[in-house]
Amino acid sequence: MKLVVRAAVLCAAVAAAGAVLYGQRFGGGSRRAPLDVQVQGNTPYDGRFVFVRLRYNSGFGGGFRRGGGGGPMWAHDYPDGEVHLSRILQEITLLRIRTDGSNILSLDDPELFNYPVAYMAEPGFWQPSASEAESFRKYLLKGGFAIFDDFRGPHWNNLQYQMRQVLPDAQWVELDGTAQIFHSFFEIDHPEDLAPPPIYGQAEAPSYWGIYENNDPKKRLLVVANVDQDISEYWEYSGTGFVPVDVTNEAYKFGVNYVIYGLTH
Amino acid sequence: MFESLFRVFFEYRPVIFQQGEFRLDPSSGAYVASIVAAAVLLVAIVTYRAAGGKGSPRERAALAALRILTIALVLLCLFRPVLVVKAAVPQQNFLAVLIDDSRSMQIPDWGGQPRGAFVKQQFGASDAGLMQALSDRFVLRTFRFSSAASRLASVSDLSFAGAQTRLGAALDGARQELAGLPLAGMVLVSDGADTTDASLNDALLGLKAAAVPVFTVGIGRDRLARDVQIDRVSTPRTALKGTSLVVDAVVTQTGYAGDTVSLDVEDAGRIVGSQAVKLPADGEPAAVRVRFMASDAGARRFRFRIAPRPGELVAENNARDALIEVADRREKILYFEGEPRFEMKFLRKAVADDPNLQVVTLQRTAENKYFRVGVDDAEQLLAGFPKTRDELFAYRGLILGSIEAGAFTGDQLRMIGEFVERRGGGLLMLGGPRAFAEGGYAETPVADALPVVLDRVSRAAESLSVAHLRVRPTRAGEAHGVTQIAATEAASAGRWKDLPILTSLNPIRAIKPGATVLLTGTDGRREQVVLAFQRYGRGKAIAFPVQDSWHWQMDASIDVDDPTHENLWRQLLRWVVDGVPGVVDVRSTTDRVEPGEPVTLVADVVDPTFVELNDARTVAHVTGPRGTEFDVPMQWTGDRNGEYRGTFTPADAGSYSAQVEAYRGGKTIGSGTTDVRAAPSDAEYFDATMHAARLQRIASETGGRFYTPDNVAGMAEDLQYTGRGVTTVEERELWHMPVVLILLLGLLSAEWFLRRRVGLA
Repeated sequence: MKLVVRAAVLCAAVAAAGAVLYGQRFGGGSRRAPLDVQVQGNTPYDGRFVFVRLRYNSGFGGGFRRGGGGGPMWAHDYPDGEVHLSRILQEITLLRIRTDGSNILSLDDPELFNYPVAYMAEPGFWQPSASEAESFRKYLLKGGFAIFDDFRGPHWNNLQYQMRQVLPDAQWVELDGTAQIFHSFFEIDHPEDLAPPPIYGQAEAPSYWGIYENNDPKKRLLVVANVDQDISEYWEYSGTGFVPVDVTNEAYKFGVNYVIYGLTH
Repeated sequence: MFESLFRVFFEYRPVIFQQGEFRLDPSSGAYVASIVAAAVLLVAIVTYRAAGGKGSPRERAALAALRILTIALVLLCLFRPVLVVKAAVPQQNFLAVLIDDSRSMQIPDWGGQPRGAFVKQQFGASDAGLMQALSDRFVLRTFRFSSAASRLASVSDLSFAGAQTRLGAALDGARQELAGLPLAGMVLVSDGADTTDASLNDALLGLKAAAVPVFTVGIGRDRLARDVQIDRVSTPRTALKGTSLVVDAVVTQTGYAGDTVSLDVEDAGRIVGSQAVKLPADGEPAAVRVRFMASDAGARRFRFRIAPRPGELVAENNARDALIEVADRREKILYFEGEPRFEMKFLRKAVADDPNLQVVTLQRTAENKYFRVGVDDAEQLLAGFPKTRDELFAYRGLILGSIEAGAFTGDQLRMIGEFVERRGGGLLMLGGPRAFAEGGYAETPVADALPVVLDRVSRAAESLSVAHLRVRPTRAGEAHGVTQIAATEAASAGRWKDLPILTSLNPIRAIKPGATVLLTGTDGRREQVVLAFQRYGRGKAIAFPVQDSWHWQMDASIDVDDPTHENLWRQLLRWVVDGVPGVVDVRSTTDRVEPGEPVTLVADVVDPTFVELNDARTVAHVTGPRGTEFDVPMQWTGDRNGEYRGTFTPADAGSYSAQVEAYRGGKTIGSGTTDVRAAPSDAEYFDATMHAARLQRIASETGGRFYTPDNVAGMAEDLQYTGRGVTTVEERELWHMPVVLILLLGLLSAEWFLRRRVGLA
């Protein structure tokens, strides 16, 4: 409970950047407000945890960016989402994490193997090449863990199809509140209670899916997919008033649990 | 040869001169003769002095000297020089004949025949050479010996099948049996091999005190022409099932230098390991390292064997057996990690499939928030790191990750030190921002246990500089089992060169005296310790100051199926718990005895806090090879706290399993097992040459002599003059020795030639 309170306080702390940002993005502004940290590009490995966003070629051109920012699909919620989550992780856990930036790596970049937890946005547009699929397969089987987020509707079909290129025998399993990943740090007994961000007006209820190593639920999860959900949207706009702090806190819990799970399982 | 020549010149055997007392026994005529001789000498001297003009003064002096010597020699003979010796009275004295009846007497290196053939030839019948010569002079008492001496009715009863040779016991036994009899001496017929560790000193002291000379006859050659031998094999007493063992063996040979042979390891007839060996020069040892897996549980007898070579004289010394208790239990290791990090995840993943390791993990994820995994029940470690000794000492190994010293109380730090020193556990400290000096461990009890020297400098985690290290094994690491990461030593060395770079925040460069460094790392500028260990008290402490060995699993250059990371961690953690004692730690004084020979079990008994107990009731439940069961009570020795001993005698050949249980206050404290094999030994065939030095020592220290088959014919005569037993005094005239006549003729001839030269002849 104490950690939850600390998380909430921190949410308020990061609101300074987020509030302005939200106003600019959804109020028609074209310029982003500066974050209160200096975001650097990819940083050399030094033993610390770094949030890694997976870059991919969607095959659908440059994609779009809400708020008029444009940009590729994989970059949704960048960099605010990871910066905010990283600060939350640093504040409430003992994880040594870089908060001065994050890494953006493609699936076949050897550097990716230095970071066994990775995040992918909008996997509905993900179309891996054969080499990317092979490299991603190795990444997962050797101990990597991937989070798929920010997709909905038919995009789930694309993710399932593409993961068959990566792990042909893999079976997706729906994760409920008993799954270990929802208890790796915070106790999330009812993950289904977190509604998707209200901006889409989507009707689908979110669900959470994963692939276990050797399809054995007693083993670790290789990936987790937030289907019909966009948790990083909450991270990005935390403390802006876009959604209540309590709800944002719940979204942070997912992020913290995912990262801690990837570090411990 | 020497003795034959000696007798040609001196008529008697050397022993007469050694034992005899020189005397002159002149008659009255000798004194008259000496007056005459003095007159003759005077005349001779005057004559030579007067012979002026003939020869130089020096030549004339030489002529006079020769004449003097000649007359003196004749005069000496007239004074009748004699040697007075004490000779044994025939058939009045006893002589013990001890004949080696052990298996090594079957080795065919006596002119191509077994050593035992010499015994049969010389002692096989009453009219056989040595037997007759001895029995003509003495009353013989014949003994056979291997592990002990016993009377021998007939030489035909010799079987040469004894599995041990105890020279000291044999000599002692015969001496005691013949005590009180007029004993002229003992004859020891043997190859000199002694398979016991017992010293000969006590037996020799007894013989010297009783003034019994021992005449030794060494049979066999002091160097086998063609032989390969496994000299030594160093194996652990216990091992965990599934452990890859690296065992050192020493091989010697003669006659096969340069050949390549295979040293195989067999478990119940199945080859489980093999190593090619290039045989060294004759007599030089070759150190061989062979690897094999202890894959079956129980008391396993591993046989290290080199197939016999063509023409090899002794094939039995090509194999050595070693008994290893292979335990199939799950060793519990506590891993305390101070922060969420990948090292814990990958370490656990590496050993997840190891059925003999249980890594109970306590990971601090946030302040006062812990993640537990691998626990036995919901209560385990619920209150965090153990706060009592019995709770901590229930584990056999302890891993400290990136957890600062400040996370422990002072007593917990002392407990960790005692965990190694007193409990005998294995401690492994991993690198990280909160480990080693950076974690504030300097000058703590944990630092005392660690094999590395910690700086007193305390640094904030943010200010730590990262060293990117390329890791290499040291010379010790190349040979150590835990750092073998490929099938062969060469492949392992090659694999180390390919492994990805790791990082470290703990720049450790100094180790403690007695510590060993197995791995080092360099960032291109400076080298630092990566893996070091030391014994500390009863246990061992290991330092592994890198923070991300998981790159050896995860790195892009590593194949998905590459087992390097798994193997290294499995080996490392098995090493951590290797040899860690339990509450009842049992061993036997030897892992093999002869059937009928007593074996002693030793048990160390402690309570759950590993304090030695002297008041425990301790019993060994022994199961014999035929399934028979019996109990052996064990008693506190009184010499060492917590040490209990019990002895039993295996009647049958086979394996005896002893489960020792300790009780206190009506409750079982714990139990431990050990195994003993009752079987004949092959020790007779090792170092199977004739041990001349040992036989010479026995002879020289007791006043006897050492013989070989070549010169043994004179032994019977020598034995007559030991001076022991019932003797008679004999005088041996010396004047008629050939050497006297030769000397006399020589002097006369020299004088004559010199006189001719100077013109006096």
